[in-house]
Amino acid sequence: MALLESLGTVLEADVLVVGGGLAGANAAIAAAERGARVVVMDKGKIERSGDIGGGVDHFLAFLNTDDTWDTRDHFLRYLWKIGRGTADPKVVEKVYCDELPEAIKRMERIGCPLTQPDGTFYRTRSMGQPGPYWINFVGKRLKPCLAAEVRRLGCTVLDKVTATELLLKDGQVVGATGMHIRTGEFYIVCAKATIVSTGSTQRLYESPRVNPFNTWLSPFDTGDGQAMAFRAGATLTNMEYMRMTMMPKGFAAPGFNAFTGMGGRFMNSLGEYYMEKNHPMGNKAPRYDVVYYSLQELKAGRGPLFIDCRHLKDEDLDHLYNTLGYDKDTLPDYMKQRGEDLKSKPVEIMVSEGMQCGPTEVTGSGVKIDQNCASTVPGLYACGDATDAQRCVHGCITGGYAAGKGAAAYAAGVKLQKPDSGQVMAIKERVYEPMSREEGISYTDAENIIRKIMTENAGAERSEGSLRVAGDKLKKARGYLSLIKAGDYHELMRANESRSILEVAEMMVQAALFRKESRNKPYHHRLDYPETDNENWCGQVLVRKEGDGAELEFLPIAFDDGGENNAARV
Amino acid sequence: MPPVFDLTKCSGCGTCEDLCMADAIFMKENKQGELVPYVKYPDECWHCGSCRQDCPQGAIKIVFPPLMLTI
Repeated sequence: MALLESLGTVLEADVLVVGGGLAGANAAIAAAERGARVVVMDKGKIERSGDIGGGVDHFLAFLNTDDTWDTRDHFLRYLWKIGRGTADPKVVEKVYCDELPEAIKRMERIGCPLTQPDGTFYRTRSMGQPGPYWINFVGKRLKPCLAAEVRRLGCTVLDKVTATELLLKDGQVVGATGMHIRTGEFYIVCAKATIVSTGSTQRLYESPRVNPFNTWLSPFDTGDGQAMAFRAGATLTNMEYMRMTMMPKGFAAPGFNAFTGMGGRFMNSLGEYYMEKNHPMGNKAPRYDVVYYSLQELKAGRGPLFIDCRHLKDEDLDHLYNTLGYDKDTLPDYMKQRGEDLKSKPVEIMVSEGMQCGPTEVTGSGVKIDQNCASTVPGLYACGDATDAQRCVHGCITGGYAAGKGAAAYAAGVKLQKPDSGQVMAIKERVYEPMSREEGISYTDAENIIRKIMTENAGAERSEGSLRVAGDKLKKARGYLSLIKAGDYHELMRANESRSILEVAEMMVQAALFRKESRNKPYHHRLDYPETDNENWCGQVLVRKEGDGAELEFLPIAFDDGGENNAARV
Repeated sequence: MPPVFDLTKCSGCGTCEDLCMADAIFMKENKQGELVPYVKYPDECWHCGSCRQDCPQGAIKIVFPPLMLTI
């Protein structure tokens, strides 16, 4: 049998972090601070990789001020009100609430404080919050600051190395393989504990802006971690939710929370403020409700839709304009080049394409984690948008750190194991195969098939019939994966991503078929089961690999919210 | 289309290539044998603006394509 060293570059670690974005960087810091030898693998360069590589402007927090809504208790009620059973509050308490005070201090310590220059927090409210939970901050250099800390702590960083498979030995995850996206060098990282922090899944649905890379979250989030964890036998959950949001027409930039937080009003083409008409919280309703009512306006022929900020005071407009650029560096350029002016006219907005990215801002989808961020497979941990109990900037900073702690503690109690070289050889052959094909299809062609199937059959309005058709067609699409040809390592990375996207699509369709009700519409809207059925479906659909298919089951989740929020509200 | 490089300012340091999360920016030799950046995969740019923010020469502009500015 071949030596591992003859197959690629071998590294050893206590903790391997797959994905060095916001969650992964915080995980690496936590593990390294506890003395673990840490390897971070990222297909970009960690100074600017991940969803907030270019910057970010918001962080959700309760701060325990004198206001009644500003407490852990009220946050948990909010979690339950908008999350509706999509995450276990006990896990969220541990990975988010418990971590929050230290996370806020850590941001200041690494040079990216959440406060304004005068030391105060600038707070706004939107998305169903009981009070202003959003902290606006200047996060343009958050990733460079985190990366500097990761390197200062002595972590080994494999920039531009994309993870290709988790390594298994005796039912445990013992590391991962990777490939350098420029040189093609193959890496074998043996690790006592492995953390998956690869973000959400984009490029899953057709883009209404034509280009599938013009996405809200990073188009390089392709569900690699979710797909690898699934193949390794881990349980995933909340995969049925197809997240959507509102975004500026033509440019899938974030900004929704900034616009509505500052008082922007959703307006239809008749000049009516439709959220104020449809929802008791108006423009500050939960995101899925805004998307739902926006879709209804479009169906009723009252589109296109706009966000109206003309009524805002000059100082608020200035703050909004600045914060938009903190969240998406190039959005102010876009507005200017497009000829938009918030002061003088409403800005046209649109409903985004779908994505796999959790049901709310405080509950996610992906690998199911426990209070230590452990998956159901020994040795495998997860954090950030790739999990069910963490979402968004706040979830990644707090939850990433929690995962680093959990993984380091696990690593301290186990021995390093080496994978069998036969397993590594098989992975290597599969990964590089598209380079050896003389003829074949491009990754774009393969992904277009997936996106078309998902958009037409598993979108905002689904039914048993449409989902069954999607499942059948995805099976056929899987056949084309083995025809993808890659001309260079960049294309080989994309081919690997296409496979992950397909596997996430398969999980999404199966979970959506299984959940025979609607929840957080339009994220999971079954036309044949249009009501929310809390008696039978308040909880999570769990997905786990079984043979060539998947095993699904339902896990009820309960929470005593003191009767304040009625979970039956649709 | 974005980013657009001002090659009169560019020093050829490769920072933009190094940190581009799309792996869209590559370096090539110009006629004078100097390394200069170019966008090899323009459709894969996410417009994150990292290249512009971190360019030590301030040589990068973001110019959005007509489709994004028109639809």
